[in-house]
Amino acid sequence: MSVAAKMEPPLPASLAAARVQLEQRFGTRLLETTQFRGELTYTVAPVDWVDVLRFCKETPALAFDQLDSLAGDHLPERAEAPLQMVAHLLSHTHGHRLRVKTKLAEGQALPTVTGLWPSAGFDEREAWEMFGIVFEGHPDLRRLLTTDDFVGHPLRKDFPLQGTVGGRIRTDLRGKI
Amino acid sequence: MSEPSLRSATDAEVRAALARGDLGPGPLEPGDPAVQETGLDQDAEVMGGAVRLPGGVAMPVQLERILGFGRSFSFWPLLFGLACCAIEMMALGGSRFDMSRFGMEAMRASPRQADGMIVAGWCSIKMAPRVVRLYEQIPDPKWVVAMGSCAISGNIWDTYHVVQGIDSLIPVDVYVPGCPPRPEALWQGLEMIRDRIKGSRHAYDGLRRIPAREAIAGEGTES
Repeated sequence: MSVAAKMEPPLPASLAAARVQLEQRFGTRLLETTQFRGELTYTVAPVDWVDVLRFCKETPALAFDQLDSLAGDHLPERAEAPLQMVAHLLSHTHGHRLRVKTKLAEGQALPTVTGLWPSAGFDEREAWEMFGIVFEGHPDLRRLLTTDDFVGHPLRKDFPLQGTVGGRIRTDLRGKI
Repeated sequence: MSEPSLRSATDAEVRAALARGDLGPGPLEPGDPAVQETGLDQDAEVMGGAVRLPGGVAMPVQLERILGFGRSFSFWPLLFGLACCAIEMMALGGSRFDMSRFGMEAMRASPRQADGMIVAGWCSIKMAPRVVRLYEQIPDPKWVVAMGSCAISGNIWDTYHVVQGIDSLIPVDVYVPGCPPRPEALWQGLEMIRDRIKGSRHAYDGLRRIPAREAIAGEGTES
């Protein structure tokens, strides 16, 4: 037994039970499983994204009633699937947490989870704005943090670090003040 | 010339002075004995001229002087923390540095009640229209402190989301450099604001322009 495995703390009892349920239900559709420092992470295919998250929310033994965070990620070194979405789930009923990831190819759309957690609306808007990940079925996919006349997806690794949009104000204030 | 007086001239006095041709519409000459008597020649430069009135001199200057004195002890900034500099601004408001000693602790949550703003932190491009709107909602006279490198120039954030210095949006009176500035530095900046208040000097008055408005009008070359 390696040192790391010895130091690996066991999962909380409720989360271990949830793990059994998840793996019974989805089996090999859970592409990767990682356990690290008492945290559990699954990677699923984009087609299973909503199914897995709905199961996590609606099964009583899991009861992930809160979508803690839903964030995008850009990993250009992974050529076949440079984008990914990461969901952090929290259950107030059981007090346990789960992380679910899905890897996306360039231009690949992902179905929205706003039907499960309405709070996903802002998170998905931000992910679309910053990484260009399109969410099918999102009710209002507009820019959230940048101005309406902004062009590009600024948190991608290939976006220029230094501002190239001319001038000091960097937006057209006409009609806004 | 009699003693300098702060009372208002009565209608009859003004009429009589007008009839004598004694009510100077323009500034007093610097060599005028009335100006030398009262020692207002320095202020007269700043204020755009003293005015001779019957029974006294330089009423507007004296009045401005008193107003400035009062205003300098009750400078109420707009409660407007944009980023980490706001933490230092709060430290200045707290008990250790205690800017309430100078009547500045009353941070107003409404621009209508404020005398100026401390732009504490980087201003994002999305925030820029709000900064201009809040500035324009502050009643005249108003003073602006650009606090920290980000508000002054954008600092290291030469990026897609930060305005490169808020003086491209609004006129700035005092720049307080630092990342973030110590509370003492902001304190010194506010002391400079108080000096400007006493002299009735402010950036808007001096420049008579709001850069953001000029940018919209297409006259600004900077933005």
